[in-house]
Amino acid sequence: MTDAGDNCHSCGEPVVAGDAFCEGCGSTLVPSPPNLTSAGAALVPDASAAGDGAGSHVPKTTFSAAPGAAGTCVECDSPVADDGFCSVCGKKAPSPRDHWQESPTDWVGGVCDKGIVHARNEDAMALAAVGDHSLAVLVVCDGVTSAPDSDRAALAAAREACAALVATPQATASGIAGIVSHWSAAIAGACSVANAAAVGVARSLGDPVEPPSCTFVAAVLDRDVVTVGWCGDSRAYWLPDAGAPEELTLDHSLGTEMMRAGKSRAEAEADPTFHTITRWLGADSVDATPDTASKTITEAGWLLVCSDGLWNYASPAVAVKALVHELFAAGAATSVELAGALVDWANEQGGHDNITAALARVEPSLR
Amino acid sequence: MAEFTAEVFQNEYLADGATDAHAVVSVACSGAGKAGVTGDAAEIIIVDTSGSMDMPPTKISAARRAARVAIGEIIDGAWFAVISGHSIAQMVYPPHPGMAKMTSVTRAEALTAVDRLRSGGATAIGSWIQAANELFGQVSAAQRHAILLTDGKIEGEPPGALTAALAAASGRFQCDCRGIGQDWVVDELREISTALMGTVDIVAQPEDLEADFEAMMQAAMSRGVPDARLRIWTPQGSEVLFVRQVAPTVEDLTGRGEQTAPLIREFPTGAWSDESRDYHVAVRVPVAAVGSERLAARVELVVNDEVRAKALVKAVWSTDTDLTTRIDPAVAHYTGQVKLADTIQKGLAAKAAGDDRTATVLLGEAAKLAHDSGNENTTRLLEKVVDVVDADTGTVRLRQHVEKTDEMALDTRSTKTTRIRREP
Repeated sequence: MTDAGDNCHSCGEPVVAGDAFCEGCGSTLVPSPPNLTSAGAALVPDASAAGDGAGSHVPKTTFSAAPGAAGTCVECDSPVADDGFCSVCGKKAPSPRDHWQESPTDWVGGVCDKGIVHARNEDAMALAAVGDHSLAVLVVCDGVTSAPDSDRAALAAAREACAALVATPQATASGIAGIVSHWSAAIAGACSVANAAAVGVARSLGDPVEPPSCTFVAAVLDRDVVTVGWCGDSRAYWLPDAGAPEELTLDHSLGTEMMRAGKSRAEAEADPTFHTITRWLGADSVDATPDTASKTITEAGWLLVCSDGLWNYASPAVAVKALVHELFAAGAATSVELAGALVDWANEQGGHDNITAALARVEPSLR
Repeated sequence: MAEFTAEVFQNEYLADGATDAHAVVSVACSGAGKAGVTGDAAEIIIVDTSGSMDMPPTKISAARRAARVAIGEIIDGAWFAVISGHSIAQMVYPPHPGMAKMTSVTRAEALTAVDRLRSGGATAIGSWIQAANELFGQVSAAQRHAILLTDGKIEGEPPGALTAALAAASGRFQCDCRGIGQDWVVDELREISTALMGTVDIVAQPEDLEADFEAMMQAAMSRGVPDARLRIWTPQGSEVLFVRQVAPTVEDLTGRGEQTAPLIREFPTGAWSDESRDYHVAVRVPVAAVGSERLAARVELVVNDEVRAKALVKAVWSTDTDLTTRIDPAVAHYTGQVKLADTIQKGLAAKAAGDDRTATVLLGEAAKLAHDSGNENTTRLLEKVVDVVDADTGTVRLRQHVEKTDEMALDTRSTKTTRIRREP
């Protein structure tokens, strides 16, 4: 992840070798070959490295090819000019930053999408997994729209946090308490790394008055235990196939405060300040320590990590579970397909915000 | 080699259903060098020698001195000629109808010839323009520029002669126009300077003419880029509402656009020195869905068909009124400056027609616009024509005794804009 790369041809930002788009402006850095998504993205650690675990699960980010053939406008099929706009209708060619998917293995996948109303995708995600179902890392960060360049902060934070978690050796303790305390500490560390990354983006922009900032949620599935940590209102849900679903996170938001003060969820969500977050990452963050929670998995189900662009349209855990089951029944079978179906569904509801959905399919019987 | 930069100032956010994208594109040139760097330069000095130039005789003697100074500024190797303009256009130098190469010999001969300028006859500016156009046609010069001096209104040639001469000359050479005294007509010279992409100004006092000619010819000699064009692409289904130069002066370029390819129009901008010019581009684009981003215009500065600078005007549709209701400060500023020029011209026309009430309202509005935008030069010129009672509300009184030359100065210089005060 730290290979020195070139500079972006469009905005001059330094870029990391292998990246598909510029973190600065979203320009495509290399023409992405079509349909990378099904290519061998899963990273199976080699036998010698499996023991210590460190650095062996580095995720590979893959991008779906932009809709439409390379170099032609998605809307009118005319050639796209060098500056990224259609030469006839002027439509901006979609940037990979606006919509991408990751699928580090067949049972972990996510989609990050601009939505419809917003001009930029300020959501970001970073996923990693080990093919034998022993470990999955899902990180989602939602850039704060009111602060410019939050898309960059969110992407940097998500990637750095995921890299930090991947570099953490798997818990050696076998007891549940040991695994939880191991990953709670690791997530707290990763959140601190993510915060430093978001602050670093502000520094690189000359410390703007409104520094870029973002939410943070990370979920680590280690064997039968899922540990989550979060700052802000991006969420994790556990959606078992049969049992009762659960929201594993509790938003740091005025909405939560309202519900704590006795308002019903429906009442609180109707309040315009519901979404005002009380904890976030970035240079102007007052408290960037994550809350953590954990869950011992005893049956098969879906672990979902998402931004509010999704849960705005399905907030209670039962509603999310019903939605996931409906989309699964309609043919979205894998994690990445299901993530795509959730994003499509949120866009059908209006796509008022950026949408990120990342899932891990948990099958205790497979291990 | 000259370098160009283009910078765009706009609020790209449009409300749902909105169609009009406005942007100010600031184009700057550096390293232009001197005239004649690319191909030859050609200069013609046209001096009014009609009978009125002798009334008082300080005018014709000032014209002689000014012509001498201008000749002194023309670089060696450039083509040049001096025309004496009265009922017809008459060669002063070279003696035959043609152009001479500037050398130490021809320079000395021209200076002597200019000393022999005498006045007599009418003011037939159309025929002078036509003669200059024919002379320029005899040389192959990349850069063609003329200076025209007059002191009177056109008479002694049929109406329409000027318009016909300008139609033939437009795009073939640039012409800076100067009116001396108070008997010339601002609209006539403005018609020439607009058609021939030059400046227009008043020289009220004959003794100021020399310095003005010197500055004008120095400016011409510093234009090392003979010809540049603004190439503007707009998307299918769009309409270019207008293209205006807004700094240093207001010039509406809209009608000069030439369709060079589907979706592309080119606007001539003439020769460039080390300078910057601002353009206000307004495009009506087909409406697109909220959240989508489109290019509203691709504005390129083109020299010899080569793109030297580029700016992108964008349109992003949003429901966020915080974003969509903001007006870009540069767009707002220049919209105000264009209105200022227009209001002054209309106010002076009303005053000339004897409609003092309308004139007071319009010139009051102008005083407020000039004050609010910090256009101190225009404020100073306005104060010679009206007494400003309260600039904040635009309350003015017409002054009782106004020098005609002050009114003419206000009229000719109404199109000079101030630059926007950019945030540090």
